[in-house]
Amino acid sequence: MSSLHDAEVAAERQAAQVDEEVLAKAKAEAHQPAFTPSPGGWAARGLVVFVLAAIVLWWPLHRPMSDVRLFADAAIFAIIGLSLNVLLGYTGQISLGHQAFVGIGSFTSAYLVTVQKLPFVVAIAFAMAIGGLQALILGGVALRVRGLYFALITLSYGTLASDSLFGIAAFTGGGQGQPAPLPSFADTPYRYYYFCLVVLAAVIWVDYRMIKTKGGRALLALRENPRVAATFGINVRAYTLYAFIVAGVLAGLGGALLAHRREIVQAQDYDFRLALIFVIMTVVGGLRSRVGVVIGSAFFALLPYIIEKVHLETVFRILSDHTPLPFLSKEVAALVLGPLLLLLTLTLNPGGIGQQIRPLTRWLGGRRFDFHDRGEKEVQISDVRA
Amino acid sequence: MSVLETRGCSIRFGGVQAARDVSIRIGEWEIVGIIGPNGAGKTTTFNMITGFYTPNEGQVFFKGVDITPLPVHERTALGMGRTFQNVGLVKGSTVRENLKTAQHLRAGYGVVAGMVGLPQTFRTETELAERSDLLLDILGLGDLADTRVAGLPYGVLKRVEVATVLATDPDVLLLDEPSSGMGPEEAHRLGDTLLDLRREFGISIAMIEHHVPLVVRVCDYVYCLNFGELLAEGKPEEVRNHPEVVRAYLGEDPEDVVA
Repeated sequence: MSSLHDAEVAAERQAAQVDEEVLAKAKAEAHQPAFTPSPGGWAARGLVVFVLAAIVLWWPLHRPMSDVRLFADAAIFAIIGLSLNVLLGYTGQISLGHQAFVGIGSFTSAYLVTVQKLPFVVAIAFAMAIGGLQALILGGVALRVRGLYFALITLSYGTLASDSLFGIAAFTGGGQGQPAPLPSFADTPYRYYYFCLVVLAAVIWVDYRMIKTKGGRALLALRENPRVAATFGINVRAYTLYAFIVAGVLAGLGGALLAHRREIVQAQDYDFRLALIFVIMTVVGGLRSRVGVVIGSAFFALLPYIIEKVHLETVFRILSDHTPLPFLSKEVAALVLGPLLLLLTLTLNPGGIGQQIRPLTRWLGGRRFDFHDRGEKEVQISDVRA
Repeated sequence: MSVLETRGCSIRFGGVQAARDVSIRIGEWEIVGIIGPNGAGKTTTFNMITGFYTPNEGQVFFKGVDITPLPVHERTALGMGRTFQNVGLVKGSTVRENLKTAQHLRAGYGVVAGMVGLPQTFRTETELAERSDLLLDILGLGDLADTRVAGLPYGVLKRVEVATVLATDPDVLLLDEPSSGMGPEEAHRLGDTLLDLRREFGISIAMIEHHVPLVVRVCDYVYCLNFGELLAEGKPEEVRNHPEVVRAYLGEDPEDVVA
């Protein structure tokens, strides 16, 4: 008995010593002079930023119109990815009905511009408001049902919306779709692409400020532990609804932009496959990583384009001619490549693209380049749950 | 006058009576200990006080007001702070971020103002960060401000948690086993911290604690629970030597137990 007690005391002493060591180490690190890059280092960082900016801002000017339309899709998908990231990444809620969130925004904007003859900006504002409103209803459900069953409800909600709501001819223009002309201030695909970039930049800013202020902190706290969040004075129910509203508003915005990019909105474009791609692009991009989500979303938006450029379809055709494998069109390929990438992300690298490129983003931010700095395991597989 | 009081609180979970007729009082400037064997209903009592459970019978009074129907976050707003047995922190965030999260109610701006980035929100954020650093310095954790919570050892986490709950501006602190995971010396220092908190901030404290030397040293009054019921109450020394308490801890006949 007494030796057991001694062992316990010794273990406690050891634990206390470990604590002191941690504090001492943190103290040493805190008092180290911060790393600042040399002028050459800043120049190198500037060069990289310049090249990236040139690719995004200057290169599209020299591409054909059909390509630039796809580039606008990439920016719009990034907005949708950030919208889903608010739910899936920050709040830990899943939405398998995000195609409905986006589709409602698309049809609202198209209907208001084409049928009601309202100005483009007003239509977008309405699309955002209605997007937020319909998400709020789903948020009310999320307060009562969690996990797999909530995922099922979002799934059926999305399918229900695309099967019934998008079939109302007066609202959606019926089978031939609802026209959604380009706005007068951005009446070419090139101008519209830059307009989408500006909106994306604004969304990134809002997302960044949200996480730096009380709303975002509240979401992160209630995702990890609603009980702890409540003792911090956070109204868990209100902030769960808040997350859905933010996601819905951003999805409505993305939907409106998508409508006018395509210039016609058709119900069959908003089926469940789209919701799948949205979830996959967000997770593969990296939950809670703004840069990662933007890159992941842009990648999936451009996947058909990339497949065409690297002539992957030819490979698929040869495969299907000489093996029993079916032929993969570039549209279907995303549904094959997506889950594969998702599997790789979940098993090897839950932090997604955002974690992979972390050495680069931190270097650009003025830190020392450290290839092994992948951050602590900020995203766990269990975060990516239904 | 009591700051916090439960009057005849009872709660059942199915067939289990987790608490029966629990009445405890925490006076102003008082440090109250709640002891009892495992499963005695100590944490259940805390959960009724903080609003995670609504008692089937009885009421909870805070500063003279019946708060029984209030949700958890509104009790925090009134000045009730609480720590958890298994560390109540946001593990994915840094220590300073945790303290800023805990100052949720101090951030006077609206969420939308924060999202669009109004100048006033930047000022408030700076103030919150400064207050976080001040509290961390008081608890000797200043160097850990930028460290992520996940990965810190348990003893340090317990101290960070106290700093965090202080950031919510409490008048009463409810501490659930604050000394668990600490060595004897560290537990002694925790006692000093608690006495300091009372002196400097005028905070009343209720704590669930197993570490007897700590309870005897800092507590003014002690309640002992067993099987969901109050077994004994009084000065620490009285309760410690109370025959019922000794029996609850050591079994029916203390003479038979070889310590």
